[in-house]
Amino acid sequence: MIITKAKPFEEILPFVEGRKSIFIIGCNVCAAKMRTGGEPEVLELADRLEQAGHPIIGWALPTAACSVRSFDHLVAKNEKIKDADCILVMGCGSGTSVVSSVTNVPVTGTNETVSLGGCLGLHPSEHLCILCGECNIGDFSGICPNARCPKSQMNGPCGGSKNGKCEVSRENECVWYLIEQKMDSIHLIPTLSDIQMPKNHLI
Amino acid sequence: MATKIIPRTISKNVSHPGVNMGSKGTFKEKLKSSQFLVTGEVSPPKGIDFSPAIENMKSIQGFVDAINITDNQCATLHMSSMAFARLMIENGYSDPVMQMTCRDRNRIGLQADLLGAAALGIPNLLVMSGDHPKCGDHPTAKPVYDLDSVQLLRTINHLKKGYDFSGNNLTGAPDFCVGVVSNADPNERLQIMKLEKKLSFDVDFIQTQAIFDIEKFKEFLEKVETDVPIIAGIIPIRSVQMARYMDNNIPGISIPDEIHERIQAADDPVSEGMIISAELIMRLKPICRGIHMMPVGAHTYTEKILKKAHVLE
Repeated sequence: MIITKAKPFEEILPFVEGRKSIFIIGCNVCAAKMRTGGEPEVLELADRLEQAGHPIIGWALPTAACSVRSFDHLVAKNEKIKDADCILVMGCGSGTSVVSSVTNVPVTGTNETVSLGGCLGLHPSEHLCILCGECNIGDFSGICPNARCPKSQMNGPCGGSKNGKCEVSRENECVWYLIEQKMDSIHLIPTLSDIQMPKNHLI
Repeated sequence: MATKIIPRTISKNVSHPGVNMGSKGTFKEKLKSSQFLVTGEVSPPKGIDFSPAIENMKSIQGFVDAINITDNQCATLHMSSMAFARLMIENGYSDPVMQMTCRDRNRIGLQADLLGAAALGIPNLLVMSGDHPKCGDHPTAKPVYDLDSVQLLRTINHLKKGYDFSGNNLTGAPDFCVGVVSNADPNERLQIMKLEKKLSFDVDFIQTQAIFDIEKFKEFLEKVETDVPIIAGIIPIRSVQMARYMDNNIPGISIPDEIHERIQAADDPVSEGMIISAELIMRLKPICRGIHMMPVGAHTYTEKILKKAHVLE
């Protein structure tokens, strides 16, 4: 799941300034789950923009903003998009890019795309994967230090780890502490002493 | 991709107490000798006026065996450690230890600076991950960490053999004396595991975080079991608040209650801090190969502390 956070309303305003027919596209998968682009959020944004004097001509909620097939596919959802002079996408950066590729008006996203995460129960969990293209998460029993350590330390904790907490924020657990606990519980600690080679960024 | 560590022959880190007077020979040669070593640390300036930092260097160069130059310590912008190491050489000091973090340069930048440092006559390196940018004065900077400290050591090993990270031949190979850092907490088994990974790459010395708890340090030495010289960090305490702050916030530092109580009870905490440092040095002398003096600020009291500890005459 792509983790997104809504931009402050004020940051969206310069983009719509002077526009006469604004169209909004939500995303009914990740952004809906994150409450940054589902139907309630789309309607709320439309309402706030209208109240601030920015005319909304319509909105659509494709299943996934990142998987829109064509402009006609969006027209089928709401033909008002044909009259739009700008489009706001309430999805992730990928969703905004895809919508931009099938339209000919200015497009922007209303969210910050934070990371590839997941949902543990009802709670979204950020930074579980950074899409490095060279996955060795099995060496750490499913907890990726490349993604979850702010310093991407692959060969053990940095010197800043203290009492199982991360140097960057003492609120957060050091990922190496989590790896140690997990590997300990399944008797795999010795395998951590293998040296991890540098990442291949060409992938 | 992961590879297995080649097992090393290990032996005890033997100590050789004796009086050190900034004796002859390079730091690398002294590491191979039996003498007790003293190193110091100087920060490059925050700006381009380097004379106060050179004065700080001069205040200790007569009695230390090497001087570290910090690399944007605490992720706070300073002049580059390579430039200041060269300035030290030009100002009469031949054995700087250039600290190098993985925070600010990718594998190309790191290697380029390593080749440059060797060509500029910088003989020693100390390799570390480096504090995260968020801890310093440019918190919005991109943290690089393309290589971690273990991977950087492997790369340095390649450069010393005459080829780069990608296997291309070099015209002349650097011959650095290479140090690594470690916290000295015997209970941090993954930190010890990481140190063991580092030691699989031809390391010349280990420099630890500041030591205040000798018993814990002894436990650490037992767990590490290496013949690579270990140099223990010393930070003189200057106040009750400083002791508390370091104990609570600086990873790898653990200050026993007795030391807190002594500083609390002292009329002059700075003097008491010096006495505590001297006592620690005397207790460290028989169990490790040297000490690294890293006062907060200038080396105003370093010589006094070393004399109190009978390391200097």
